[in-house]
Amino acid sequence: MGTSISSWENVGAYFTFADNPLALGLFTVGAAAIIVGLIISIAKHENEAFEKIEK
Amino acid sequence: MDNAPTLESLQATLDAQQAVFQMHQSMNVEVFYWWCTAIMIMIHAGFLAYEMGASRSKNALAAGIKNILALAVIIPTFYLFGWWIYNAFPNGFIPIEAAGALPWAQSMGPDVTDMGTGIFWAAFAMFGATTGSILSGAVIERIRVSAFLILTVFLGSVVWILAGAWGWHPDGWLLTDLGYHDVGASGVVHAVAGFFTLGVLINLGPRVGKFINGVAQTIAPHSLPMTLIGLMMIIFGFFGFLGGCIIFNGGETGWTTIYGNPTNLSAFAFNTLMGFAGGVIGCYIASRDPFWTMSGGLVGIISVAAGLDLYDPELAFIIAVVTGVLAVKFAKLIENFGIDDAVGAVSVHGFTGVWAVFLVGVFADGMPNVGDLPEISLMGQTIGAIVMAAVGFIPGYGISLILKKANALRVPKEAEELGLDEVEIIAKPYPEVNGVPAVTSSDVPNKLANSEPGV
Repeated sequence: MGTSISSWENVGAYFTFADNPLALGLFTVGAAAIIVGLIISIAKHENEAFEKIEK
Repeated sequence: MDNAPTLESLQATLDAQQAVFQMHQSMNVEVFYWWCTAIMIMIHAGFLAYEMGASRSKNALAAGIKNILALAVIIPTFYLFGWWIYNAFPNGFIPIEAAGALPWAQSMGPDVTDMGTGIFWAAFAMFGATTGSILSGAVIERIRVSAFLILTVFLGSVVWILAGAWGWHPDGWLLTDLGYHDVGASGVVHAVAGFFTLGVLINLGPRVGKFINGVAQTIAPHSLPMTLIGLMMIIFGFFGFLGGCIIFNGGETGWTTIYGNPTNLSAFAFNTLMGFAGGVIGCYIASRDPFWTMSGGLVGIISVAAGLDLYDPELAFIIAVVTGVLAVKFAKLIENFGIDDAVGAVSVHGFTGVWAVFLVGVFADGMPNVGDLPEISLMGQTIGAIVMAAVGFIPGYGISLILKKANALRVPKEAEELGLDEVEIIAKPYPEVNGVPAVTSSDVPNKLANSEPGV
């Protein structure tokens, strides 16, 4: 699906979706969202854990 | 005679051999930085052991997981924007064109024709991760992991690399305007991370029980041996770190510093080891303490790293001894101001990093840079040292203040007293107490923990 080359002759960047800026942009947003989501999920976990000891 | 080589055939043979030679040279560059990066991972293994050992046993795993996650968030964020910041901001705060360093650029992925970007990105990502680990140790036992990760992303993927663009880039303004010299990253990594940490510690406050009636108490590490071994692992990793600071050039140029002046690994070897030895001796003399004696190895290397290519090895040794003594004194000084730095990071990295940059100005004043670049000067190094401290301190203080105002920086007092492993980590570091085998209350095989945090 993501192949960016059809031959290894005179090839440069050959990684998946290298010729598809839209896909690369979406992957960038997705990767950034994972980091933000991780930090939010940790903050939630901490809040829940701290609430339990306050009870 | 029919088989006699022609000029054309000789030229073709020569061209083919030249192409093979250049390919192997490019591969050697990749191999060198690949292994530097691998060795740098040992820095993080060392910080992991060091930090867990320095914690009390009730916080050992919380300290460890915080350190592991720092590595895991700095690597992708350095890919997303850190590498671009390095390439875009050598002039200050106004970016220059650096589209090739954006995460969607073709050079930021597997590319047959690019045998440099990935390997340099990897080495720089590990430098960034080192700054995160420097912060991580100082704030153990009371910072929220979520707050720490926000801070470490800023430090590891924004702040230090902005300083790197200014002082560790061939076109960085500190070099082009002031002749700044900091080959081993004493300023751009250690001073920045140390002073960022100081800013965070001011807002974070000391651990419960650290100060009683204003008098500093000793909070003993739960495993000093683990801490000492961790520190020695960091020293091992430093050889990858410092190897990553030298430029492996193609063609006839050979090794240069990041500023373009000729040097070699022999120069680095002399002064790295002499600095290590001097730092150990200096910290031992000043403290007689095992933790500080081993930390002295770091102090010594950082104290000479800025001028690693320039110093006479005996001078490097003396600098490291003196800096080792001063680093212990500086750590006591900031403790007297109510700062609880659990591992001495502000002193070992911040103070020593700034001092190291300054000392290059003292001992190498007048040393030329290449081309039309200004020579190394006491004034240039002094300004550079101040810039590094400020670039670290201001965002460290500012971001942690915002988190503090949002009540998102520090764990509640009850959690701190109970221990963070018990409260938020679903595992126990030492489940077998007094020789009694651990029991599990979890349905998950091999999980030696309560399934409910806080139970």
